[in-house]
Amino acid sequence: MRVLELEVNGDQVEVGAPDHWTLLEVLRYRLGLYGSKQGCDKGDCGACTVLLDGEPVIACLTLAALCEGRRITTIEGLAPAHVRAGGRGPDPVQDAFDRCGALQCGFCQPGMMLSAWALLADNPTPTRGEINAALSGNLCRCTGYTQIVEAVELAIAEATGATPARPHWAKHESTPPKPASVDGREASR
Amino acid sequence: MLLPATLEEAVTALDKESTEPANEQKTRILAGGQDLLPELKDHLAEPETVVNVKGVAELGTDVRRSGDGFEIGALATIAALARNADVPAVLSEAAASIASPQVRTLATVAGNLCQRPRCWYYRSEHTVCLKKGGDECFAYAGLNKYNAILGGGPSYIVHPSDLAPALVALDAEVVTDRRTIAIGDFFTLPSESDPTRENVLGPDEIIREVAFTVAPGWRSVYVKFKERESFDFALSAVALALRLDGDEIAEARLVLGGVAPTPWRCRSTEELLRGRKIDDALAHEAGEDALGGAEPLEFNGYKIPLTKALIAKALRKLS
Amino acid sequence: MSARDNHGTEAPWGEGFQVVGKRHRKVDGLAKATGQAVYADDIALPGMLHAKTLRSTHPHARIVSIDTSRALALEGVHAVITGESMPIKYGVIPWTPDENALAVDKVRFTGDEVAAVAAIDEDTANRALKLIDVVYEPLHTYLDPFESLERHDPAIHEENKRGNVSKHVELEFGDVDGALERADVVVEGDYFFHGTTHTPIEPHCAVAQWTQDGSAEGLLTVWSSTQITHYVQRALARVLELPEAKIRVVQPCLGGAFGGKSDPFSLEFCVAKLAMITGRPVKMLWTREEVFYAHRGRHPMHMHYRSGATKDGKLLATDAKILIDGGSYSSFGLVTTYYSGQLLTGPTHIENYRFDSTRVFTNKPPCGPKRGHGSVQPRFAFEIQLDELAHELGMDPIELRRRNWQGEHTTTVNGQRITSNGFMQCLDGVEEASDWKARYKKLPRGRGLGVAGSMYISGTNYPVYPNEMPQAGIQLKVDRSGLVTVFTGGNDIGQGSNSVVAYLVAEELGMDVDHIRVVAADTDLCPVDLGAYSSRVTFMVGNAAIDACRKLRAQIVAAVAEHWEVPEDRVRMGGGRVLDLADAEKTIPSREAFQIAEVRFDTLGATGSYNTPTLGGDYRGGTIGAAPAYSFTAHVVEVTVDEETGRITCDKVWVAHDCGRALNPTLVAGQIEGSVYMGIAEALLEDHDVNRFGLHRGPSLLDYRIPTSVDTPEIYSIIVESVDPEGPYGAKEAGEGPLHSAIPALANAVFDAVGIRMHHLPFTPGKVLVALRDERAARPEPVTGATR
Repeated sequence: MRVLELEVNGDQVEVGAPDHWTLLEVLRYRLGLYGSKQGCDKGDCGACTVLLDGEPVIACLTLAALCEGRRITTIEGLAPAHVRAGGRGPDPVQDAFDRCGALQCGFCQPGMMLSAWALLADNPTPTRGEINAALSGNLCRCTGYTQIVEAVELAIAEATGATPARPHWAKHESTPPKPASVDGREASR
Repeated sequence: MLLPATLEEAVTALDKESTEPANEQKTRILAGGQDLLPELKDHLAEPETVVNVKGVAELGTDVRRSGDGFEIGALATIAALARNADVPAVLSEAAASIASPQVRTLATVAGNLCQRPRCWYYRSEHTVCLKKGGDECFAYAGLNKYNAILGGGPSYIVHPSDLAPALVALDAEVVTDRRTIAIGDFFTLPSESDPTRENVLGPDEIIREVAFTVAPGWRSVYVKFKERESFDFALSAVALALRLDGDEIAEARLVLGGVAPTPWRCRSTEELLRGRKIDDALAHEAGEDALGGAEPLEFNGYKIPLTKALIAKALRKLS
Repeated sequence: MSARDNHGTEAPWGEGFQVVGKRHRKVDGLAKATGQAVYADDIALPGMLHAKTLRSTHPHARIVSIDTSRALALEGVHAVITGESMPIKYGVIPWTPDENALAVDKVRFTGDEVAAVAAIDEDTANRALKLIDVVYEPLHTYLDPFESLERHDPAIHEENKRGNVSKHVELEFGDVDGALERADVVVEGDYFFHGTTHTPIEPHCAVAQWTQDGSAEGLLTVWSSTQITHYVQRALARVLELPEAKIRVVQPCLGGAFGGKSDPFSLEFCVAKLAMITGRPVKMLWTREEVFYAHRGRHPMHMHYRSGATKDGKLLATDAKILIDGGSYSSFGLVTTYYSGQLLTGPTHIENYRFDSTRVFTNKPPCGPKRGHGSVQPRFAFEIQLDELAHELGMDPIELRRRNWQGEHTTTVNGQRITSNGFMQCLDGVEEASDWKARYKKLPRGRGLGVAGSMYISGTNYPVYPNEMPQAGIQLKVDRSGLVTVFTGGNDIGQGSNSVVAYLVAEELGMDVDHIRVVAADTDLCPVDLGAYSSRVTFMVGNAAIDACRKLRAQIVAAVAEHWEVPEDRVRMGGGRVLDLADAEKTIPSREAFQIAEVRFDTLGATGSYNTPTLGGDYRGGTIGAAPAYSFTAHVVEVTVDEETGRITCDKVWVAHDCGRALNPTLVAGQIEGSVYMGIAEALLEDHDVNRFGLHRGPSLLDYRIPTSVDTPEIYSIIVESVDPEGPYGAKEAGEGPLHSAIPALANAVFDAVGIRMHHLPFTPGKVLVALRDERAARPEPVTGATR
């Protein structure tokens, strides 16, 4: 057992955990942060992706002991950080995922959204190819990635004032629902 | 888990008397953990002590350049290498082709060179194959689609590292706590020594850095073919470095990945390339020569034409 | 079908749809986006124990003895159970109960469940597994389905009367042999569809709690990542010998299923039994490796097809002989065997049709229903044959399909009733979007286009256990706060069925979706729905929801009309308000209307149901494959084939799917895109198989390759709305149909690109290189230049 000091979603926390525990185990079983999902427990699916000092890592392949003193962001941390920064509702990336239908079963998406978030923090106007490459460590089995990419591109367009691309099936009304900051939706609904 | 602060402490913590198969060593080094943790989770490795070297002062995390010389710290991450615009293309391209963005964040250069095979008989908890101290390579007569066509026997694994062929193409050296090893001597064929190991490192030996020099005029490329476009190992890969004199090849280093238990250097092909212009005929000849000694198993014969095609692609990219 | 089940296809208030047809958020989207959604493994109960499963290390063996004493003695272990603890057999299909929660007497595949341990944590439970001593007597192992056909000593299931044959179906409609003799052109070939598995990103997980409910008996609650809550409740009752009323099954948020969570599984029984024994809550989370053993994925099928047509392209007959590798248990296999033949008879009319399908047992992980259950494999063979016929006849393959289209409101050769049928619009859509006429057969060598079409059931007309009760039920609770709560037994497995129910209720009651709350898949709270399978939920639960709403809104309209002293036909509900059509001043929020109605009629609520009409052909098995509606799909796939490396790159997919009506086009497109992605992955990457020892060849997500974002083609979805007369506002399924024809369309595109016919899936670089070599060898003279 080792006592670790971590910064998790802006909070300084002290947790005791066995040496062999991964960051995922500490997040889920010590801190009750169940938003990070275990899909394979071997680093092959990316569902447990979190940010370590802003970089995406696989929490199930990251020993908690390696995270001493480091800054960790989980899916639960995005909306509160957005609100602390003066925003309303969920983080625009989370919101765009919901608006575009990118959340089918939703299980892979905490990790997916954090990968997308890290990409946009590093490169606010990535190309389609860069988006695909940045998300290529997060397996999704529901969407075929199409609405995920639409969501990321929507978030980019709204952040930069550009016009979002229309989805291919645009015979129907193709404008996604309004963002949460406009329709007053709170993250905690 | 131990967290030594110096290389000496780390080396001391490792069991230098170990004679077990590599995966059963009682002490194991942990750096990024991206290969060791899956091995632990699959119960392939069950060490008594894990020596976490991330706090070891002597182990660098950066890529240093002085003139033509490069020194890459053992703990430099694959992500850092992939982003580095200074290092030769063959190395940054190889780095960028590895696993997934998240794995690259933590995986280290030394860890990549020392990663264990991906053969599914090795990775299955339920089989004791030659690699794990058993007496049979099940791939030989089994499902061997991903296995070796060159240098196989008695084990038919392929070396999983992408950096390895790239570094061989750069004629790099591996610097450990006690010696400097030419990378061509670093990896071992299963027929040459203990088939449970893939390199010459002693059980208590630690890689400090990888170094190489790039003389002016050299160009390089890494062509990797994987079944899945991301997050996959090479079915076959070609690391090619050339020094061109006008449009003639003055010097060449050609190394194959994903087809042999070590990165597979094609010296005779390098000779063949010397003094020639790159064209379709040469690409064809080079492929024929490089794969001339290939001995496919039941399900991996496709790797021969595939690898020939990759050699041609690599040559075309540098022409 | 009773009147209650048919509600028309028009907007309920006659002025166009207010909710339906527009893009909406999902009711649980933000909960999922922010990490708040609770999946089974996110449940932690006080004092909860963790359970693990001991699995067979032999593919086929008799269990001589099991000694659990050393495991029980381990500190921290609370209970160990084996097959003896729960000897009653079950199976999702009541006619074929051949599974045990834990193996009794013998094991039938490597990975079969043998024992389970509950301990204070997973590490302790894992240590205990190693202390269970099992003595096996190995038996002959069947890995080749052809051997299972010939040999049955020892039988995999000794009680099975047909040896190692799980099911055999042979049906003929018309005169196939005669028609083939008359045919101007006949194509014949062997096709192989390999095994693939669902791979939901969430592994199976179940939690059980055994509580005293005031009676002497206890109450069992099981939270499980299942897509068939109701059947799990029934299976638990059978195996645990408890009354169904003492069992509550709840499906929490579910992390994907695709058919892979539609059997009752060992872990549900084990956590229940262990909770009953220990008196403590018990959780079991399967590892990824265990999910591969649980499987229930796509059946490998060895198929021989023969089809004949006239010289003007009229399809005369198709003759199919299929050997189905079922793996070790029945699962839905009886249905699979029928589906392998019964679902092929549209959208292309087959005048004379015969199929002879045999499902056999082998010592491999059991196969079951995967997205497009039983019909993806024959569709692969058949749609390639149509392409081959078109090629032989020198006819455009789209034209061939048009000439043989079965039409709307018709009956198939095997007696299935077809209602709405938008297949022609699907063909038109992909033909135009892909610029087919200008590009088919005209792309440079190495690039090609291929087309295929398909049909799939939208719901099945039979519950798996025969009964006359509704197949779907809904309850509405109306609150004076203005909230309407919908209780549905339907399983939202990520496809968005809870959201669909909310949209329908909002449309019917003229409310904002935000004021509808959906409580789903909890057997204590919700009326029965049979589960998320056979693409039935939107169609059946949707109709039940409209049924309930119609009753409720009659009360609200009556009460408000009376209150306002106006005729009922002047009262409209819309935009979260109730209005008087003749008096713009007269308008109240829905909430007030609910209160007025509550005064008038007492506490408000309504129920609704759906049952299928009587359907199907008049012969044994004629009802299997009968559905109240069918969806239709057409694909055009564009590929690039690298002749040097053998790599097939799927560049683009144009897909048009007739879903009747798109209730929320975002969700429809999501289902189409997900289906296409999964189909292309089956064609090019995925391969679920065992090695020569019967051991799964790579039970991990590195070895079982599902595509990443960079492997996935650009997908252009076209939503076709044929407006089905019986679907909810005309809606049909969208979740399974759009997978089918992606695979043969890709195979046909490879032929266009490089002239090779790929009949054996998956199309790996190695197989492509061999096929190219063979094609070169067969070519009369070398082709020069880059174009043909």
